[in-house]
Amino acid sequence: MMELLTGMLTTAVVAGAVLALAGTGELLSERVGVFNLGLEGLMSMGAVMAVIVVNAGHNTSTALLIVFGLGLLLGAMFAVATVVLRADQVLCGIALTFLGVGLAAWIGRSYSGQIVKAQFDVISIPILRDIPILGRALFEQTILVYLSYIILPVLVHCVLFNTRHGITVRSIGENPAAADASGIPVLRLRFCYVMLGSALATCAGSYLTLAFVPAWTEGLVAGRGWIALGLVTFANFMPLQVSLGAILFGTLSSFGFAAQANGWPIPSVVFSMLPYVGTVLFLFIRAIARRRGQKFWMVPAALGHPYFRDER
Amino acid sequence: MNQIAAEMPASALLVEMRGIDKSFPGVIANAGVDLDIRHGEVHALLGENGAGKSTLMNILTGIYQPDAGTIHIDGQALSFRSPRDAIAAGVGMVHQHFKLVKAFSVAENLHLGFGDKPFLVSRSTLRRRTEALEQRFGLQISPDAIVQDLSAGEQQRVEILKALIRGARILILDEPTAVLTAAEALLLFDVVRRLTADGFAVIFISHKLDEVLAISDRITVLRGGRKVATVPKDATDDRNLADLMVGHAVTPQANDRRLMERHPAIALHDVSTPAGQDGCRLDSIDLTLFSGEIAGIAGVAGNGQRELSEMLSGIRPPVEGAIRIRGVDFTGRDAKAFAKGGVGHIPEDRLRSGVAATLSLLQNAILREYDAPPISAGPWIKSSHARQFANSLLAAAHVSAPSIAMPLRNLSGGNQQRFVVARETRIASQVLIAAYPTRGLDIAAAETVRAELLALRNKGVAVLVISEDLDELMSLSDRLLVMYGGRLIRERKPPWNRNELGMLMGGVGGGCRR
Amino acid sequence: MTSTSNVARSSGWRVQRLPTIDGRRRAIAYAIAFVLWLALVGGGLSLASFAVRDIVLRAISVTLGSSYGIQQTLTLAAPLLLTGLAVAVAMRIRVWNIGADGQFYMGAWAAAGVGLFLPEGPTWLMLTLMAIAAGLSGALWILIPAIGRAYLGISEIITTLLLTFVASFLVYYLASGPWRDPEVPTQAATARIIYELPALNDGAHLGIPISMLLVIGFGIFFNYSKWGYEITIAGANHDAAEYAGIPVRRRILQAMLISGMLAGLAGMIELTGVVYRLQGGMSNQYGALGIPIAAVASGSISGVAAAAGFFAILLNMGVSLQTQGLSVHSVLAITGLLLFLVAAAEAAARFSICRMSASLAKIPASGASI
Repeated sequence: MMELLTGMLTTAVVAGAVLALAGTGELLSERVGVFNLGLEGLMSMGAVMAVIVVNAGHNTSTALLIVFGLGLLLGAMFAVATVVLRADQVLCGIALTFLGVGLAAWIGRSYSGQIVKAQFDVISIPILRDIPILGRALFEQTILVYLSYIILPVLVHCVLFNTRHGITVRSIGENPAAADASGIPVLRLRFCYVMLGSALATCAGSYLTLAFVPAWTEGLVAGRGWIALGLVTFANFMPLQVSLGAILFGTLSSFGFAAQANGWPIPSVVFSMLPYVGTVLFLFIRAIARRRGQKFWMVPAALGHPYFRDER
Repeated sequence: MNQIAAEMPASALLVEMRGIDKSFPGVIANAGVDLDIRHGEVHALLGENGAGKSTLMNILTGIYQPDAGTIHIDGQALSFRSPRDAIAAGVGMVHQHFKLVKAFSVAENLHLGFGDKPFLVSRSTLRRRTEALEQRFGLQISPDAIVQDLSAGEQQRVEILKALIRGARILILDEPTAVLTAAEALLLFDVVRRLTADGFAVIFISHKLDEVLAISDRITVLRGGRKVATVPKDATDDRNLADLMVGHAVTPQANDRRLMERHPAIALHDVSTPAGQDGCRLDSIDLTLFSGEIAGIAGVAGNGQRELSEMLSGIRPPVEGAIRIRGVDFTGRDAKAFAKGGVGHIPEDRLRSGVAATLSLLQNAILREYDAPPISAGPWIKSSHARQFANSLLAAAHVSAPSIAMPLRNLSGGNQQRFVVARETRIASQVLIAAYPTRGLDIAAAETVRAELLALRNKGVAVLVISEDLDELMSLSDRLLVMYGGRLIRERKPPWNRNELGMLMGGVGGGCRR
Repeated sequence: MTSTSNVARSSGWRVQRLPTIDGRRRAIAYAIAFVLWLALVGGGLSLASFAVRDIVLRAISVTLGSSYGIQQTLTLAAPLLLTGLAVAVAMRIRVWNIGADGQFYMGAWAAAGVGLFLPEGPTWLMLTLMAIAAGLSGALWILIPAIGRAYLGISEIITTLLLTFVASFLVYYLASGPWRDPEVPTQAATARIIYELPALNDGAHLGIPISMLLVIGFGIFFNYSKWGYEITIAGANHDAAEYAGIPVRRRILQAMLISGMLAGLAGMIELTGVVYRLQGGMSNQYGALGIPIAAVASGSISGVAAAAGFFAILLNMGVSLQTQGLSVHSVLAITGLLLFLVAAAEAAARFSICRMSASLAKIPASGASI
């Protein structure tokens, strides 16, 4: 029983780490007012690129670096369209998804199924790892887990809410006209944060192939990008809630693990569906639970609206 | 960064703009405009809507770049590529529509984009710094208050403080009293006088002649994108200024108040409704509008006027009480029913909520009458009838356009307003609700609208005018009510006491309940 | 930031942004995007050492040069017409149905259920029942996202898409499990459904003209009916719609249900016109492709026909190139690129670079209003 719980928790943590990382990246983008719907495509590209780099003989750190750079590049492309040209964010995001998923499938066709030659090292935290049930699941994980759940969200939270830069960034997502009139370079900052968000998303994809399922197959990302998008809304655009929510969403994946281990008589398809149904359910629950009189979500007011200084 | 300009000025003029040109697609906003601002003066910029005042100030604050011309601040030639440059040069602006982040606190808004603060700021640090700054400039507001919850006057003070903190020596106020009660306006004038005494220059953009004459030292009049005159206050009066603004002598519309046979056109009995966004809750309102009268409701925006006008036009159903039109119960019926029942509505934000600007003139023209013959037959809209309707509406509105398939937003703002007014007066066979009807219109257009309202009244329609402009209300209305805190205060009959009305508008006790 | 000399410019270039663009500008923008896209795709293919010219010529000749090719293109167009229509209908009220694939699967599932488990009957009756079942099923599948969007502010983009995965898992599970055809063990599919859409004389099936008629019919309905007018107004400006008494939330719900119904119908048509068995993966990305189709048609319902035709040709070429090593997912990537370029080009078309003249023209007669 203990083993089962630990196993489930471990799966949840690892599955959720991918969501937390991608979610944090998307949060950065949405906090400056830009929807990046291309998460699925970005994650696919990150995943496949990580496999290629690692199987060419490099270590995981190099892979991570290259994948991060790829994310910056793709993010820049997306930002040129949505921030500079002010094209429709939804269409560009979906286009990026198609492009990313399709391109990744094509590039990765000769790598399909190959076991990855290197994986992220597990970092074990002494003492804490000996806590029953929780210990091994929470404190014997790869660096990326600690990064996704703790380091990054805490960092983002501190920057957003405790620094003057954070006020600047949040104001762009709430009222870009006010930010502009205060001398803040709205377009420049939007561009940078969209790039950064994309880079985190590709890194999340690399985590899929370098730790979670250490191999690439077509369609590997399987909608996690969209779940991450749901996570950001569910978390009300707050970094620490993204982290907590990610574990919650991650547990949806871990039931399948438990079922398999215990031979439960429920067809596996139910567990395949669980993450998606669960995400929709969580969104509904959160929306309904909001107190009367308040809007359902604390959405940055300018999210999705391109900013024009000269709008007549 | 409080640069008190009592030091030796580098030149006699604080601001010198010469030969400013600016145009947009299809529109010339400024043509060869000159403007001089002296140290320590209150300089009013006067002109109708469309004269180019806002454009000129947007150039001075770096939001727009001029196509031609020069700007000198304190003798130094500068060019502003962005608002940052203008702020650094000491230009600060309080916009008519506040550029504050509503979700942020006062402290956060004040520190927006403000370079002079440490990298790490906790909530308490911000609060301390804000309180210190407020002390220095003598403007007090609670630093942790969320801007959304503040009154318009308080929000304006935050804006002024924001500009001063950044070292503004030139403070531009764009239509500052538009959203203030009379009492708050007086407070504002105090602040202005204090600032100019300290050597700051204040540019006061307004179209309210009496305020301009009260507060300013010199007045510059713009018309049609050009500067017409710059006069010292003592050398002019309101008649002269009005002539300069319009270009010819203006005779205000005479109001021929006849006594008509009256019946109740629309009546609200004991009606209540919750607050809308940025609005006010209404409790147990009783109001009857009679045919052949103009009833005016005076009040500062946000005291329930929007909820009231939405209830009278069917957009918002009351949670309690009843609404009757000519004795027929209309409670709970939708806006389409009210329109068919003869209620027209010129909404407060007519270009934002009264039209779909990206759609064509045709689609906007039929917006209120598409649901009935002759335009529709069964579930279908008959396009030939619709086209005919649109063309005749354009003619009635005196708007000329190359084609009714053209998007509405290609029309000028003034023409869009005329369009909406014409559309609503068409359906207003019983009642017309006109919210801030002349807001944003130039003098000629405003006169036209007023004439329309009077004509409707003379035809027997019940007209409700909601406005903050006491002059307009006093000249148009047969009777006046004041709205404050979601309540209609006892009606006043002529002759009206301006001061009393102003005080009632400013309210005693309470304010809005949500 | 500041300069010590400031020369008064009386002429020069300036970038302005236009509030609306006319058809001509948009057409030029699309043309440029298309050319750029061809260049990029061709470049990419040759980088991957494909002989581009040969491939393209071969693809064109296979797709359009033979009657079989044309028939195939039309067969591909049938579901695309409907999914494109589905997305376009939702787009009219500014709602995004990204889950058309999911509704497609649910439509196919419902139709298969009727076809496999109801007692036998005349073909025309059964096909009609299957169509009704498919439409209802598709609409039901979008109901939850629709309610979430209309009444709870939940993004329909996310919910419709997530439910697509659920639908595709369901179909795959049924086709390879409980409903599997025991006589064909190698295929993960149900038994062959005996009701087929009648074929037209050149091999294409009845679903093609049906889909076409639906597009035309909806085009008329949206442009000439009161309901269509209300949808258009609500899509353009919620506030104006409420001001006019249009029940916006109800219209959003209705438009989305229709959208789901159409996508479900596409599933039924594909089932009874082409594959004849319920099987995993049968949506073939038709639902996803509905998005660029609707985008290229830029909101015009009847424009979906031309856009769907274009993408059918594209898809057919992709299929014919599979033999040469191009996978089906490459089509997705290429489509994504096109969508991206079209969206970017349309936005870029709003910028106009004009030369300021030294002498100012007279103030336009309609009156300057600033």
